[in-house]
Amino acid sequence: MSTDSDAELKSAEPSRSSRRPARDTERRIDRRSLLRSGDGPMVTFEGVTKRYGTDVLGLDDVSVSIDAGEFVFLVGASGSGKSTFIRLLIKELDATEGTVIVGGRDLGKLRRAKVPYLRRGIGCVFQDYKLLPGRSVYENIAYALEVTGDAPRAIRRKVPEILSLTGLSDKSDRLPNELSGGEQQRVSIARAFVNHPRLLIADEPTGNLDPDTSIGIMQLLYRINRTGTTVVMATHDRDMVDKMQMRVIALEDGRIVRDERKASYATVEQ
Amino acid sequence: MRLGFFLREAIRSIRSNVAISIAAVVTVMIAVFILGTFIPSYLYVQSTVNQEKSRLDIQVYVADAATTPQVSALQGSIANLQTHGQVKSFSFISKDQALAKLKSELSDQTILSLLPNNPLPASFDVIPVDPARDSQIAAALRGNGAIDTTMPGQGIDYAATTTNRLLSVAKFIQYTGFVLILILLIAAVLLIGNTIRLSIFARRREVEVMRLVGATNWFIRWPFVIEGIICGVAGAVVSVFALYLAKVFIVQPWIDSNSNQLTKDTASTISFSALAAILIVAGGLVGAFGSGVTLRRFLKV
Repeated sequence: MSTDSDAELKSAEPSRSSRRPARDTERRIDRRSLLRSGDGPMVTFEGVTKRYGTDVLGLDDVSVSIDAGEFVFLVGASGSGKSTFIRLLIKELDATEGTVIVGGRDLGKLRRAKVPYLRRGIGCVFQDYKLLPGRSVYENIAYALEVTGDAPRAIRRKVPEILSLTGLSDKSDRLPNELSGGEQQRVSIARAFVNHPRLLIADEPTGNLDPDTSIGIMQLLYRINRTGTTVVMATHDRDMVDKMQMRVIALEDGRIVRDERKASYATVEQ
Repeated sequence: MRLGFFLREAIRSIRSNVAISIAAVVTVMIAVFILGTFIPSYLYVQSTVNQEKSRLDIQVYVADAATTPQVSALQGSIANLQTHGQVKSFSFISKDQALAKLKSELSDQTILSLLPNNPLPASFDVIPVDPARDSQIAAALRGNGAIDTTMPGQGIDYAATTTNRLLSVAKFIQYTGFVLILILLIAAVLLIGNTIRLSIFARRREVEVMRLVGATNWFIRWPFVIEGIICGVAGAVVSVFALYLAKVFIVQPWIDSNSNQLTKDTASTISFSALAAILIVAGGLVGAFGSGVTLRRFLKV
């Protein structure tokens, strides 16, 4: 890729329409999700170890802190612990040792029944999109709002808003299997962001996409980050990480081997 | 509650899984049909058994010529047995009452008009505490002048030999019938639960996604429960309709053909509308529980 696309990636400023809803929903989010607002770190891991069974180690004594509003890449080979890290954040898994704190909440002390409320405050994007099959683009996004108990009128207002933000306005009635991979990932991001979460996590969002499509997805995530949302993205995509020059946390065998700001994928400068 | 939304979700999921929904409906239909034939049959058998049981009562026939003091003396000695705990209860059946009872058991009542007068004796219907000890009661009453010794058993009639056998058969029918119904119910619930499990297993990915976007367990569960109720009630309604056809075209002609004889069958069973209501409610409940409980497995984490 040329250095032009480098600039192109970062130049994607949030549009006016995306800033406004982000602000006026701030209070609503704090009431509905469990994430506490404030200036403290968004994510804190303190000596977190995750074992699967007795001898498989997912994470090994990881301590790290991510501030509100940061954009963080989580890099490492397969099996290095990236997915474990992500799944701990949404309490799909519980830490074997140590504490995971998200938005001021100690997830180890969070009751299981409260987990849905935690997840409403965290947007999730996955490599395989995880869209609801048999539901249109519109319905997929609306579902995330139905879950939080939004009024029908609010849903009718918010969905078109997020569709235009993600460039999907003309795909509203399509089913997921009628869309390209890039479009499906946009729907997934639209769904993750429609509640304006304060934290958005993405597990290999560009893993199945070609480089050009990946840039579009990356721009979208960057714009979301610029509205003040913390973004944690696990990825293999070396080019992308090198271009973005954001904070990089590198994992290897469940340990953090590097944590640098404005960094590249590998330590060796290119 | 967001009933409208849940209802729409349930209907959507039935429509997008037509094959499995039909399988669930058919399963409920078959189970409810079997239950629907078994319940009235069981109740009919039980009613017959109870009628037979009442024949274990001791009939003490009163001679037409007996004087009032003789009859009250007989009544006194039966009452005496009651205070001693051998007789549970007893009642006096006049000649007119006896005739009325016979009338109700006959299909062709014109037969009675051929009689010159009422040939039936008045009697005491004595219900023993323990039918196995009928003979002791009979012995205690014998010799009273009011008793009509020309009647069967020399005026004190009880079926000594059949008593015990009938009692044990009655008990057997009651217990096995109850156990059979229970087994049938359990089998139906398991079968339906299994079908619903299939349907939910096919959609476990969908449930996983719902959890990821922060849906609470009940938010996910309601549409499934409503879907289960719809399938259960649909199956039960079809089945009730089939049962109705069976009743009108098979059972009723059969009963009628049997009643053409001298006596008619007075054993009763459950009314069809009550049966239909029970079956439809049961279908809905089984569907709701089947899906609600099965979903638990997929709602962990």
